[in-house]
Amino acid sequence: MHIDWAALGVVTVVSITTSVIFTILLATGIRLVSVAKIKSNEGGSGTAIVSAGYTLLGIAGLLVLYGIYLIVPQLH
Amino acid sequence: MSQIDITIGSPIVHLAARVLASLPGAHRHHATRSGWETDVTELFVVITVIAVALIFDFTNGFHDSANAMAGPVATGALRPRTAVILGALLNVVGACLSTEVAKTISGGFFDDALITVPMILAGLLGAIIWNLMTWLFGLPSSSSHALFGGLIGAVVVGAGLASVNGWVIVSKVLLPAIVAPLVAGIAAAWATRLAYRITRKTPSVHSNTGFRYGQAFTASMVALAHGTSDGQKTMGVITLVLIAANLQASGTGPQLWVIIAAGIAIGLGTYSGGWRIMRTMGKGIVEIETPQGAASGAATSATILASAHLGFGLSTTHVSTGSILGSGVGRGAEVRWSVASRMVFAWLLTLPGAGLVGGLAALLADQGVVGVIALIVLLAGVCLVIYALSRRHRITHANVTDSHEVLVLAAAAPPSTYPDDPRLETPPKLKKKKVKRPKEKSAA
Repeated sequence: MHIDWAALGVVTVVSITTSVIFTILLATGIRLVSVAKIKSNEGGSGTAIVSAGYTLLGIAGLLVLYGIYLIVPQLH
Repeated sequence: MSQIDITIGSPIVHLAARVLASLPGAHRHHATRSGWETDVTELFVVITVIAVALIFDFTNGFHDSANAMAGPVATGALRPRTAVILGALLNVVGACLSTEVAKTISGGFFDDALITVPMILAGLLGAIIWNLMTWLFGLPSSSSHALFGGLIGAVVVGAGLASVNGWVIVSKVLLPAIVAPLVAGIAAAWATRLAYRITRKTPSVHSNTGFRYGQAFTASMVALAHGTSDGQKTMGVITLVLIAANLQASGTGPQLWVIIAAGIAIGLGTYSGGWRIMRTMGKGIVEIETPQGAASGAATSATILASAHLGFGLSTTHVSTGSILGSGVGRGAEVRWSVASRMVFAWLLTLPGAGLVGGLAALLADQGVVGVIALIVLLAGVCLVIYALSRRHRITHANVTDSHEVLVLAAAAPPSTYPDDPRLETPPKLKKKKVKRPKEKSAA
């Protein structure tokens, strides 16, 4: 029985990268939406910022959907 | 459902009387794969094993409920009840989704041909008792390691120490137990650091809502993934036993009733919450703030999915714990390393501990029907004792986040304040630092 170091390496890299990417998307999306809210409260227009924020949150949502796709064996 | 009526349902009516009648001469030859005859004695053993397998499934559920839900419960992203209901439903769905049942239950630790039905029973017992004991102390530990440990113990008793492949234990138990918390911990630490840096200027009223959604979604993914992977284990065991007893054709998948029963057992277990473990993971290791919880949830689900699909199996429990630890380090919070080291200790003990119980149980299980009955009585006794001990300091959905400690023995609390311990009515609110308990007052 050998230890599959290659698989271990891949799992490490993919886990860390995905966690970081998901968190960056989520946090940046949250920040942009918040900035836009504050702007519109102050009477300004934050349409561009808010749509950018929701786009990022949407991509994070797509990552979640991809995760569900991976979990459900019937889908692949 | 029809299968159970035909093969098990009808004999079960006469079973009790006939088993009792057969007791004095019950020392017939034991079930091996080659020479199994389906008679009443063995049918009794089969039904017992199925019942015990479902009990194991239940302990698996409540032991692992915290893996997904400790974070959201601790930060308030999900209310405790909502969290366990969601977790339970997703576990049932996950269990019913999993189509492919593991072909072997030995996991490569030993030769599958060595396994007999009494050994499976003994192994399950070892795993259940280990799960209950670690739950009593609020320690998260891997249910799969407990199951493997119990089976290994039973096999060692039946077939000798040489039958177990020690190298596999290193590569499948020891190494992953080190790797899982490291990988998930590093991922969570970086993610946490980034989450705080990015939202540094964002008012927490705005950021918390978003992070809570993120946390709820990632926790749900973990619960679903848990159902698909751990639901299979019990289905695999039951199916194997049915095949060994000639009640099911070799090479066929699990029956519908097996899938449903296993799904419900793990769901009920998850719903019951395992609040003691939930407290350790959500409060005991480190205080979890909302952005930190979202980052650690992301790290847990990413690592679990990566390990499941890229060929290096890691335990869900070790991954979740590692994420929480790492997220604490990433935030620069005060991590209770004593709790963490106690947990690692429990992980290392899981395999030998469950193995010891499994081995002892195997000695009894080998004594035919009398032994099996004795085992069931013992199991019930151990369950009752552990439950009674847990009542001394109850942890429920109502008080799970009130403290970070899981007390077991009354000695752990000042004796004079028990059982009218003021903590039970008004638990002290924890600020950043540990609040001193009012022991001196009552001692004076």
